[in-house]
Amino acid sequence: MADERTRLKRFTPVHRLWHLGLILNFMILSVTGIAWMFFETPWGRGLANLFGGYSNTLQIHRIAGLVLLAGLALHLIYLLTRIDWKDFPRSLLGPETLVFQLVDVKGFIGHLGWVFGINKLPRFDRWSWWEKFDYWAVWWGLMIVGITGLMLYDPVLTSDYMPGWMLNVALWVHRIEAVLAMGHIFTIHFTVEHWRPSSFPFNAAMFDGTMDLEEAKHEHPEWVARLDKEGRLGEALATPPPVPLRILYFVFGYSIITLGVFLLVFAIANAALLTLF
Amino acid sequence: MSIGRMIFSLLWALLVVPPAIGQAADASGEMAGTGYFRDQDTVPGSLRFYSQLPGGEGKLWGMGPGKPKIRRSSFKQDAHEGVANFGPEVRCKKCHIPQTKDLHYLRMGITCIQCHRSQPVAGVYHYYSPLNPIRRHAYVCAKCHEGATPSFASYMVHEPNPIASATRNSFPLLYYAVWIMLILAVGVFLFFLPYTALWWIREFFAKLKGRSSHGR
Repeated sequence: MADERTRLKRFTPVHRLWHLGLILNFMILSVTGIAWMFFETPWGRGLANLFGGYSNTLQIHRIAGLVLLAGLALHLIYLLTRIDWKDFPRSLLGPETLVFQLVDVKGFIGHLGWVFGINKLPRFDRWSWWEKFDYWAVWWGLMIVGITGLMLYDPVLTSDYMPGWMLNVALWVHRIEAVLAMGHIFTIHFTVEHWRPSSFPFNAAMFDGTMDLEEAKHEHPEWVARLDKEGRLGEALATPPPVPLRILYFVFGYSIITLGVFLLVFAIANAALLTLF
Repeated sequence: MSIGRMIFSLLWALLVVPPAIGQAADASGEMAGTGYFRDQDTVPGSLRFYSQLPGGEGKLWGMGPGKPKIRRSSFKQDAHEGVANFGPEVRCKKCHIPQTKDLHYLRMGITCIQCHRSQPVAGVYHYYSPLNPIRRHAYVCAKCHEGATPSFASYMVHEPNPIASATRNSFPLLYYAVWIMLILAVGVFLFFLPYTALWWIREFFAKLKGRSSHGR
């Protein structure tokens, strides 16, 4: 059996669950949001009709938004339980956390140099700079769309606490941040995680929770070396997931990727038909 | 007719009618209101209905739509009085194209006349206009938005183009917020799209050369 343990544990079941919940919510919000945004176009109307028309689409968008914000609140509580308070705030640093540190600046510069062929690929530890960026991007993105989304949830109630014209501002900020988030996920995130030659066609690490040990030795050599040095490499190894699960991850992942690319392509194709300015 | 009643009628004719006579009030019930409905028409005890713009003229709140330049026609009973080529058969869209590019018109299919009311269209600052800010929220907004307050009614239905330079003066917060968000979004794409493309190419050629998958 020892020979089969070729995978390195990377994400806990809780991590994977967060990501899965985020995917489902994000896609519901994307489809309903785009359907709403493009409602004047036949394509947008068609999308909205899948959800039962304009009002229902909006209602689903609102509910999914609340669920996502509830998820964010739960995630915050989860984070608070994960922090080692005895050693706080020093425990926030180190290679196991997602907090940006000096090493990430070095990692970024080193990676940039590697892209241009100037130096070798930096030896990343458990989290590379772009993985940390992806994590925190969700935070700031959700803060912006979340706050503006809550403002737009009940405009009459909101205007009790601030001038009604703040809704003009909130709607535009909500839109732009949503376009930024979708554009980033459907192009950059998909490319970096799945379409790079080293990950193509599909990187199931976030679904399966493990990554190939040989791959980890290239992508995260410092992590593997550290685990080995600390004598924890053995316990961190896992067997590959069973074939049916691998098929499930692939089919699910590519359904989401296809949906994302579909939204992106048709949104760009229909952008000229939008009449809001 | 009693003497008291005659005196009352005389006083009414002298003091009350003249200010309104030039404005030819619509006789329909809703138009004949005093405008000071807030003290009478809302549910007692629900304090929020009485609040005007919350926050007053603070720093942030001062960045809202400024005091608009109000045209003289906005005070007229017939806003189109004296407009050349205007007639009841002319479609609003013929002249008011920018006013058709907003969510109310495009998404909800609300027609001009549903808010601006029947012909002749009154200027929004006309004393009896349903769109006069003093009663706009109750007479217009609340038709769909239950519980609309004066604060709510300060939402700009015909909002300006947020990135146009004129908006910096007319609605500074919208202008700056949208520009900051656009710079953030465009900045992220300008950086990450070429970066990701170069990254992909680098890995591709590293793989072609048969070295390890990460080009080392």
